[in-house]
Amino acid sequence: MRDVTFVLPPHSVLLVVGPNASGKTTLLRLLATALRPTDGGGSVFGHDLVRDADAVRVLTAFVGTSAGAYDLLTVRENLAFAAAMRGRPDAPVATWLDRVGLTPVADDPVRVLSSGMKRRLALAQAWLAAPRLLLLDEPYGGLDRDGVALVAEMTEDTTRRGGSVVIATHEWERVMNEADAVLALAAGQPVEVGPVAQLTAADLAAAAGGRR
Amino acid sequence: MTAQTGLGAVAVLLLGIAAYVSLFASPPDAFQGEYVRIMYAHVPNAWVAYLAFAITFAASVLYLWKRRPAYDHLAHSATELGVLFTGLALLTGSIWGRPVWGTWWTWDARLVTTAMLFLIYTTALLVRGLSDDPLRGARLAAVIGIVGFLDVPIIHYSVVWFRTLHQPASIAPGSLKIAPPMLLALMLSLLAFTVLFMYLLRLRTSLARLEAGGEMR
Amino acid sequence: MNGFLRAAAVARKDLRVEWRGRQTITATGMVALLMILLLGFVVGSEPARAAAILWVAMGFAAVLGIPRVTQGEVDQQALEILLLYPGSREHLFWGKCAALTVMLSALLVALLVLLGVLFGVDVWDHGGALVGVGVLGIVGLSVIGTLLAALVLHVRGRELLMPLLLLPLALPVVLGCVRLTEAILTGTAAGLWPAVLVSFDVVSVLVCPILFEVVMDEV
Repeated sequence: MRDVTFVLPPHSVLLVVGPNASGKTTLLRLLATALRPTDGGGSVFGHDLVRDADAVRVLTAFVGTSAGAYDLLTVRENLAFAAAMRGRPDAPVATWLDRVGLTPVADDPVRVLSSGMKRRLALAQAWLAAPRLLLLDEPYGGLDRDGVALVAEMTEDTTRRGGSVVIATHEWERVMNEADAVLALAAGQPVEVGPVAQLTAADLAAAAGGRR
Repeated sequence: MTAQTGLGAVAVLLLGIAAYVSLFASPPDAFQGEYVRIMYAHVPNAWVAYLAFAITFAASVLYLWKRRPAYDHLAHSATELGVLFTGLALLTGSIWGRPVWGTWWTWDARLVTTAMLFLIYTTALLVRGLSDDPLRGARLAAVIGIVGFLDVPIIHYSVVWFRTLHQPASIAPGSLKIAPPMLLALMLSLLAFTVLFMYLLRLRTSLARLEAGGEMR
Repeated sequence: MNGFLRAAAVARKDLRVEWRGRQTITATGMVALLMILLLGFVVGSEPARAAAILWVAMGFAAVLGIPRVTQGEVDQQALEILLLYPGSREHLFWGKCAALTVMLSALLVALLVLLGVLFGVDVWDHGGALVGVGVLGIVGLSVIGTLLAALVLHVRGRELLMPLLLLPLALPVVLGCVRLTEAILTGTAAGLWPAVLVSFDVVSVLVCPILFEVVMDEV
């Protein structure tokens, strides 16, 4: 990635678009401290991404394309594990299960879950951390309409608490109205798209490298 | 003439003198006869090997601490030379053992420890080469360089006690009394090999620096 | 306190996954059983050989079993999530170590019973001492094994590298456990071996968690 510079104020949602291999996931992984920048740097709520990585991790939750859940454990056990690893062993797991609609399958092993259900579990694992920076990488894959609404609710909850959300997706139509800013990437570099208020669907489609 | 070439010249000169003293100017041993002369190559090989692994250890610690590539180049070079000299030490020891002990290999503690070191550090080189990213390879090799070196004394004493607690040491290598000309030969060889090692280490380190050249500085 | 809870969560998770899948213990158990049967048949099943055969089998079982617990995180695509949780990664290290210690100790108990049957050694009277010595060794194996398993994770040919690293580095553990097991079975003096095992454990416990953080740096 080169020449990507941005400041994301609290209470805001950044939509990252771009064709495949444009660097969307790389950007999210950099912000999540999963990757270390070779040059340049950044900070999350004043904490440096490299020197202060642990403080960034406290504030950040990253939902990648894989759920990162253990097939042989039940949904409930996976969520309790995530809570314990977040240093919240007494988190109300049942409440969270209910919130993301996983209560009916709470005691099923993750192995038998559909991809949409696995995605809900991944969202719940991130949500219970009450992150101030929420990073969502292609969050809509496999989700039904309720699931998509769940992502919107989670986004709104995060911004209402003063946090920020970064969503990287091809399905930009779903968040276009919520996004406060748009970052379009091509081959790891930003592309000018203009202020978000004047953007049309056609502009975004072109930037996302999509059809239409 | 650069300092590097100068060091090489000194090494060659010292090796020549050491070879002369070892092969001609020192007497044959009362028990080992002419075979004792192999020792003048064997002992310095083993010494240089251990010296190399000590340098690997120090450079690995420094690399993980400061993350400066120069320390990694030093650690990498020292490991390679250490493996080379460990191999030579095993080889010369074996050649010496055949006529003197009557066997190519004996389960002597020093031999087993050295063989284990040979395996550990060869694997460190393998790990470095097989890593998907050179920076990761450097880090992992440094970790092995540290663990391996800290483990050496424990490996050594466990091997010593494993044999000696059940059977008396069949051979006590290294007679305590050593005639002055033989001592001189040994000391000269040690010095010559150490200087040779320093020369090779410098050469290999600058090669590592050049190899890395483009990707990291 | 928080760190202890996190380590406990990792250990509980690993043991639970293992209990449901029984993959590690089956693989290691079969290899150990095979080694004991083969060695017992080939070199002879006199009671005097029991200790050596037991610990050679344990050594190879460890080589096979230890990396699976860490490899499992990669297979489940859970490693990245695990490493992005805030807090020290030493907690992961201790959790995995604890889970491995439990698994290998269970294996040891099973193998001791097997030895009592196949080699006619009196494991029944000295059960406590034999397991005690074994756990002392297993702790060392688990600690250095967890570090090495993480180390070979992103290296090609890790199945080959694991034995090349673990067996030479953990040689003192195998040797010490052989001699101590013999000493217990024959009622002879233990000599310096407890000190060898303890010093191996202490050095590993002090050094390996720090190096684990280095190894796990940058996913």
